[in-house]
Amino acid sequence: MAGAPIAKVVSRTGSARPAPPANPLIRRILILLAVAFLTIFIVVPLVNVFVQALSKGVEGYVAVFHPPEAPEGATLTILQKRHFGEGAAQATRTWNSIGMTLSVAAVVLPLNILFGLAAAWATTKFHFRGRTLLTSLIDLPFSVSPVVAGLVFVLLLGRNGIFGDWATHLTWPDVFSLHWIGFANGPWPFAFGRSFTGVIFTPLAIVLASIFVTFPFVARSLTPLMESLGSDEEMAALSLGASGWRTFFKITLPNVKWALLYGVILCAARAFGEFGAVSVVSGHIDANDTMPLRIEKLWNEYNNQAAFTVASVLALLAVVTLVAKTLIDWKTQGNERTSEGVSDA
Amino acid sequence: MTIEIRNISKSYGPSLVLRNVDLKINSGELVALLGPSGSGKTTLLRVIAGMEQADAGSGPVLFDGVDVSGVDLGKRRIGFVFQHYALFKHMSVFENIAFGLRAKPRRERPDEAHIQEKVHSLLDLIQLRNLAHRFPSQLSGGQRQRVALARALAVEPRVLLLDEPFGALDATVRRELRRWLRRLHDTIHVTTIFVTHDQEEALEVSDRVAVMNAGRIEQLASPQEVYEKPANAFVFKFLGNYNLFHGRSGGGSFVRPHDIKIFRNAESAGPDAQPGMVTHIGFGGPVVKVELESDDKTHVDVELPAQAFHDLNLRRGEKVWFALRGQHEFPLDYSI
Amino acid sequence: MKSFRVIPGLPLTLGYTLFYLSALVLIPLAALVIKTTQMTLAQFWDVVTDPIVVASYRLTFTASALAAAVNGVFGLIVAWVLVRYEFPGRRFFDALIDFPFALPTAVAGLTYSSLYLKDGWIGGFGPRVVASVNALAGWAGIAPPLAPDALDWLTFPFTGGTTGIVLVLIFVGLPFVVRTVQPVLLEWDAEFETAARSLGASPWTVFSRVIFPEIFPAWISGFALAFARSIGEYGSVIFIAANIPGKSQIAPMQIVTRLDDFQYAQAAAIGVVLLAFSLIILLAINGVEAFARRQERAA
Repeated sequence: MAGAPIAKVVSRTGSARPAPPANPLIRRILILLAVAFLTIFIVVPLVNVFVQALSKGVEGYVAVFHPPEAPEGATLTILQKRHFGEGAAQATRTWNSIGMTLSVAAVVLPLNILFGLAAAWATTKFHFRGRTLLTSLIDLPFSVSPVVAGLVFVLLLGRNGIFGDWATHLTWPDVFSLHWIGFANGPWPFAFGRSFTGVIFTPLAIVLASIFVTFPFVARSLTPLMESLGSDEEMAALSLGASGWRTFFKITLPNVKWALLYGVILCAARAFGEFGAVSVVSGHIDANDTMPLRIEKLWNEYNNQAAFTVASVLALLAVVTLVAKTLIDWKTQGNERTSEGVSDA
Repeated sequence: MTIEIRNISKSYGPSLVLRNVDLKINSGELVALLGPSGSGKTTLLRVIAGMEQADAGSGPVLFDGVDVSGVDLGKRRIGFVFQHYALFKHMSVFENIAFGLRAKPRRERPDEAHIQEKVHSLLDLIQLRNLAHRFPSQLSGGQRQRVALARALAVEPRVLLLDEPFGALDATVRRELRRWLRRLHDTIHVTTIFVTHDQEEALEVSDRVAVMNAGRIEQLASPQEVYEKPANAFVFKFLGNYNLFHGRSGGGSFVRPHDIKIFRNAESAGPDAQPGMVTHIGFGGPVVKVELESDDKTHVDVELPAQAFHDLNLRRGEKVWFALRGQHEFPLDYSI
Repeated sequence: MKSFRVIPGLPLTLGYTLFYLSALVLIPLAALVIKTTQMTLAQFWDVVTDPIVVASYRLTFTASALAAAVNGVFGLIVAWVLVRYEFPGRRFFDALIDFPFALPTAVAGLTYSSLYLKDGWIGGFGPRVVASVNALAGWAGIAPPLAPDALDWLTFPFTGGTTGIVLVLIFVGLPFVVRTVQPVLLEWDAEFETAARSLGASPWTVFSRVIFPEIFPAWISGFALAFARSIGEYGSVIFIAANIPGKSQIAPMQIVTRLDDFQYAQAAAIGVVLLAFSLIILLAINGVEAFARRQERAA
């Protein structure tokens, strides 16, 4: 079994018979050990993020995003001017990194969702030779170090890479700079404001590296469920004259919606937080920084409080991810119980 | 609609599941495909439905004389009912039944009022009018199967195909539903084929029974005929309990337990009577099962009505005489 | 029964899947192999046996193995406690287990390195406690009861070296053992235990002879997963390690260094070795798991 288990909050079902009562001393020691272990390794580090982020108070926290501006009409020393200037520059870079993280995720998530749905459909509805190989290939990114994930794209598309010549001269538009220009210059009223040249050291490389490390999540969440649900409902819909698309959207998709959401949440969490792969392909250029890269830079500049402030946003997202996962688990367990139906009596 | 299939073979990998099967079904008939698991009955049903494809070289599947082997599942206008209902979990009973109507292409789709009317009349037919807005998880197995049937009927199929429709239900519900199916069929007269391994069900419900074994149809005839005039040993053995008496020259006498009469003395038994000893008596309500051991140590199962048993007043260990009153002679094929 | 013709969509879905996989996984990984073959065998060997590189492998492996071992022991305890005992906050801690999956590795590295600094909350635990107690006393209006260096001995400064790396790898691999063992424990039928106890066995014997063999396949699988995960871990480690080549530098860091110097082929060589190790470990898990399950069935 390769790769990370798709983790669920496990609850007790009625299947196991109760164990004999445990020795109370052993019980207490084990609970203590477990709680201490989890506290030291998870709770304390998590709390520390927020403690450090707030080490300059709430104003210090806010200042990372909204730096104080020089008061109007005041005369400032050079040092003071530089201080305000640095604060502003740092805030701009921080906001850019948030924008970069979100826009990368905005591109990566839909593509991975499409892939997950396609891969799950292909591997669960059909029997063909090489099906197990395909499933193993989908698990491959879990066995690869993130640095290697970034490395392979550099080797493929970098300056000395296999397609290096083609890649370094490739020009592509910034999809997020699409804007309205009117009909004055021709029939097509949209244009891109910005383009990039090259792949490595541009956001395109970040997108590619992020896709590499995150695409299995949706597929792995959907496949076991679709495998166990079988194709009877789809066959029934087809026999009633429904088209393939209608069957997919009205029958298959509603049946897997929670697993899909689960996979998307895991995929998003990983996309926001990926560090190694992105670091390798971004070239350490400020404009290419995602939030994790920004954290590293702030830390290297000894700006701890700012680093922790940005980290706190990601930590908060992680907590939200966990809460969402827990809620989905409770919901799906509830569904399992009600699907048993009533008796005929 | 008449259905005719000719020379259909189907294999899964190395195993041949259907061997050159021919079958002709008349319009409006209710035919049962009866056989043990592995006999190919479900595969045959699915080939007719268009859910499986027969092997290359097989003959056609004809609906009203037209070859539909190349026609997609959705275009054959069949109604299929699954053993485990396959109701759409996220839709209400009403939506399930309306699904086929709503899925029609725009040109053919009836308007909403029409759909409402049709679905409600089907709900009345299956007697579940007030459960229209329940969800499948809130229904019993018997109710779910009725909804599955209504859903299949909504698109006015030319044939109804049922795959072990009552297999997942309790014995009582099964009996009720099979009678209900027969009455439904008598009302709407749609050509129907259903698959079952329960011979009681097949005999009780159908107009004709196709007894299948190892990919072949052993006999296709009315229930009375397959029971009283079985074509071979397999059909006889599948349709009920039996005793086998080995004869000379490799043949066997197959006798039903209720076709054996027990007598107290040889004279009333007749010239072909055999002696035996009562080894076990089992009370089963209206019928008493008596086990005998004949002189050559053959085990014999006899069934007699309770009244006849009381008249004889048998007890364990007693010596009696028994005679066969209706046997079927078949060669013994040890590959069965 | 699935059929090519009945259920639609095979060409579309399989096509898209294969295209995606080829473009994003197969071809890039092929680039890795190809780049390596552009070196001669001698050059390849020189790179992967360079003492600094070897030191990085050794560090990576040792730290990952130690972290996986700690997770093996404590993960088992945590799984046991969560499944078998009721206590306030059980659900909270159960949900917490997935936290290392959700948290970005950079944040993990950041918070761990700050905690274990000489003056961090754990790294300088003693002095911090003293300072807090004194501060509290100050607010309450009492004179500070503790001397400033009273608990100076109670410190755990672990940044820079192997210990720090092991600590952060424990965090990264924590969920693996717990989540693979939990389902097995949940389905465990306690009848065997009751029988063993009624025959007079001590709780330890019951655990080691009756229960542990049952959960062994899952446990070893979790251990190996944690191990494999730690080998490739980068983001969290570089925050806490001093990254001194030959002493505190992990293998992925070596790759990054070579890339920064545009030594693509060398980086590829090291990457290939790392990848090979991960795959070997995973194959080994599958092998051990299969073996253990076969033993179980035979028994």
